[in-house]
Amino acid sequence: MSRREHLGEFEQIVLLAILRLGDEAYGVPIRLDIERRTGRSLTVGALYRTLDRLEDKGYVSSAFSNPTAERGGRSRRYFTVKPLGLRTLRASREALTAMWDGLERLVMRGS
Amino acid sequence: MAPNHPFWIRILLRAAALRASEAELGDVMEEFVAGRRTSFWLISQLTSSVRRRRSPLTLSERGAEMLSNVRNDIRYALRTLWRSPGFALAAIVPIALGIGINTGIFSILNSVAWRPLPVPEPDALVSIYQNFRGGPRRMVYGARALFSIPEYRTYRDEAQTLSGLMAYSREWTVTLGREAPQEIQGILVTCNYFDVLKLTPVIGTGFTPVNCGKLDAPPVVVLSHALWNDAFGADPHVLQKPIVLNGREVTVVGIAPAGFDGVDMAKAAFFAPTTTLEVFRPEQTFHENPNVSWVTLMGRRSENATVAQVRAELSLVASRIDQQQAGRATSLIVEPATTLSLPVARQNVLTGASIVMAAFGLVLLIAAANVANILLARAAGRSREIAIRLSVGATRRRLIQQLLTESAIIAVAGAVCGSLLFSWLFQLLVPRLLASLPGGETARVDAIPDLTVFWFAVGLTCLTVLVFGLVPALQASRGNVHSVTKQDAPAATGGRGWLRGSLIGAQVALCMMLLIPAGLLARALYAAHTLDPGFDQHDVAVVSIDLRGPRYEKGNAAIVHDQWLERVRALPGVESVALASRIPLSPGRSQTTLRIGDGEGAAVDMDVNTVSPDFFSLLGMPIVRGRVFTDGEIDAVMVTESTARRYWPGQNPLGRTVTLDNQRRQIVGIVRDAQMSQAPEAVSSYLYLPAMRGTQRRISVLARTRLDFAGFASAVRAETSRLDSNLVVNVQPLAANLGVLQTLSQITAGVAALLSLLALGLAAIGVYGVVSYFVSRRRREVGVRMALGADAGDVQRLFLRQTLRPVAVGMCIGIAVAASAARLLQSVLFGVSPFDPIAFIGAPALMLVIAAAAAFLPTRRAMQVDPMSVLRSE
Repeated sequence: MSRREHLGEFEQIVLLAILRLGDEAYGVPIRLDIERRTGRSLTVGALYRTLDRLEDKGYVSSAFSNPTAERGGRSRRYFTVKPLGLRTLRASREALTAMWDGLERLVMRGS
Repeated sequence: MAPNHPFWIRILLRAAALRASEAELGDVMEEFVAGRRTSFWLISQLTSSVRRRRSPLTLSERGAEMLSNVRNDIRYALRTLWRSPGFALAAIVPIALGIGINTGIFSILNSVAWRPLPVPEPDALVSIYQNFRGGPRRMVYGARALFSIPEYRTYRDEAQTLSGLMAYSREWTVTLGREAPQEIQGILVTCNYFDVLKLTPVIGTGFTPVNCGKLDAPPVVVLSHALWNDAFGADPHVLQKPIVLNGREVTVVGIAPAGFDGVDMAKAAFFAPTTTLEVFRPEQTFHENPNVSWVTLMGRRSENATVAQVRAELSLVASRIDQQQAGRATSLIVEPATTLSLPVARQNVLTGASIVMAAFGLVLLIAAANVANILLARAAGRSREIAIRLSVGATRRRLIQQLLTESAIIAVAGAVCGSLLFSWLFQLLVPRLLASLPGGETARVDAIPDLTVFWFAVGLTCLTVLVFGLVPALQASRGNVHSVTKQDAPAATGGRGWLRGSLIGAQVALCMMLLIPAGLLARALYAAHTLDPGFDQHDVAVVSIDLRGPRYEKGNAAIVHDQWLERVRALPGVESVALASRIPLSPGRSQTTLRIGDGEGAAVDMDVNTVSPDFFSLLGMPIVRGRVFTDGEIDAVMVTESTARRYWPGQNPLGRTVTLDNQRRQIVGIVRDAQMSQAPEAVSSYLYLPAMRGTQRRISVLARTRLDFAGFASAVRAETSRLDSNLVVNVQPLAANLGVLQTLSQITAGVAALLSLLALGLAAIGVYGVVSYFVSRRRREVGVRMALGADAGDVQRLFLRQTLRPVAVGMCIGIAVAASAARLLQSVLFGVSPFDPIAFIGAPALMLVIAAAAAFLPTRRAMQVDPMSVLRSE
């Protein structure tokens, strides 16, 4: 690969949530999981903005399920991380780890 | 149980749906319903979705969502149908019948009206006809809209928008071979016929400038592949030895490609240049005559030339021709070439076909109404599920989409099964049907489907889905939340009951529209079988010989004719022989215009028959007044009783005069009325003229014989070939003409009966279904009534009354429509009035009996309701 894109912080968070949820990775659990773990509130619109961007870049793919009555007859959109997304996530993690090297104590202690 | 959302939430969702995707809205709804979220939360989430997009969803985004929706709908519908096979079958079978039958009949029509010709690049071919008024007197062979050879040459030389223009005539009958000659049919063509059609002969050179085009050249011919196989055993040496056509030696210069037998309605066994016209018909010398209509023009468009451009250019040529002939005004008909291209014929066939297709379409409508009823019943059972989905914000449009998908699958399944079945069936039946009609074996008609037929089936399927699926979908998706939460029976007779009742009424009306014409046709069939034509047709044979051809020049023909008549008369067992220009009950009519009295009298049209004096005694037609004319009495005529009554009422018609062809003739005798023509009107004005010797080439004689028919026929053939071995003689019993009429009536009545039975069966099923449904929904009511003292008979009568009301309304409407349409059938209703009372009473009676039976059966089940158990279950 010639030029490698890097992931924004929020994009990494969303990818990680999708990975964690596995087969159950659709809009509602992803949003709730991120809200719970990061403590930030997240609107549906903001989440889908990122999900669409991730799909455009080829990091995730989405598929629709059967419609359900609770959703007023609408389908669920399930997401899976693609190999490219996994590779990019790994690279971002390595870059971050390299930058953090030796600084954990300094940064985490001083808060 | 989901809470009942206030309407403003639904409005918000609908507004948000413009900019937010379905998945986002679904997520918001899911959490809102499950997570006890506040309305404020709902609004802020919706706002975030709407704000993240600056523009409404793009077409491709919507498209992707719609596609996945459709996929899900299809999967869900297939699962539903799979789980209830009884319902699926009950819905698919009527649709299969309806669509299949219509597709079958359309493919027959398509084979002549729209299918491209069986030649390379057929779309570039156009056929050309003309309509003109005025100009010099015109001879017509075939149709007035045809051209003459000199006119053809003008168009051919001047047309730039056509890369080639050829002409061909209608079919001509000639004899093939010397000993035991057989009759074959072929067409005369211009030398570039095969070039314009882009066909090359399988063997031989075909028509070249060397062997074709000159009037006095030795005659040549191209044979069809079929004739080459049948008559010559595919002998490749047929090119070396000349064959004999009409007694003349003709060289074969080519064999047409396999499967090609012309581009018109009749199959051609051979193709000869137009210049050989006089070879086959010495008395027809009009090849260079510019005022004869006898050839059709067909041309191939040049690249980039449109039909409109061709039409415009050729119209200019036409106006140039007009200028050379005083008072003539021509307009051209230029259309893409099909098998049935002659404008008058095409119009007649399409009009007749529309009536037939309308009848078949009625069956489809009845079938669709049946399925609509079934769907309505089913939807009633799902009303709770639908109401819940509506209350949580499912759009009505989405629901309708899901329900319509189910209908679409039923329709597609039915269309595929039905089309395949009936296509195969019709392909089997059509050749058989054609063989039993006169001239049918050489007609280029079949039931083979092509792309046009496929699109017709697709279009018909879409229409059918809308007809039977839309109303149930609309009705079901309306959903009334309040009424379904209580298991109450009155809902069954409320809004939905009205709808299903009127569907039944519609089915019954459509059924009437089919049954009554079928009844009329059946009556016509009966009439045809019991017809008394007014003459004695038994033991009479029709013998015809053909004295056309080069061997029988003017004087020669009369001599041969006399000799032959003598011999036939002398045959043992022959009682009498008579000449007639029109054989009784043969198809077509001969009419002429004459004047009553002297040359200044009123001009009237009459049917005319030129006969020898023995005609009347042979057929047992009594002379009521006066006498029969004698042989050679040129200025004598005879008329029928009704003719005399019409034109000389209250007077003695004997001695009166009429003027025909500028010659005054006297009425010498009145003969009784008889059915001479195939037309249903038994009484028309009829005139008999004495036969003149030697004026006819195609001779038909009637012979009354004591012999059995087969013996007589072989005796005639033997005698004829003893006289002249080249003569072809046809022997038929006179009763055969009536037989053809009966066959036609049989076919028409048979098809109509089949359709009506189908319609009746479908309508009966429909009535049965509706009544069973009502009965099952009103079990509680029945139980209450019976507990209150009503007996079985009362309840039964109540149901019957309510069911038969829409049936009665439908019948009245159906009878009214059938009465107004009966006039259209008049041409096929031989001997029967279009308002025949037996048909108009019998058909409704039959329908009433069947409907009553279909309604009666389910109500009997209702009688077995045990009132106590019903009341207990409350």
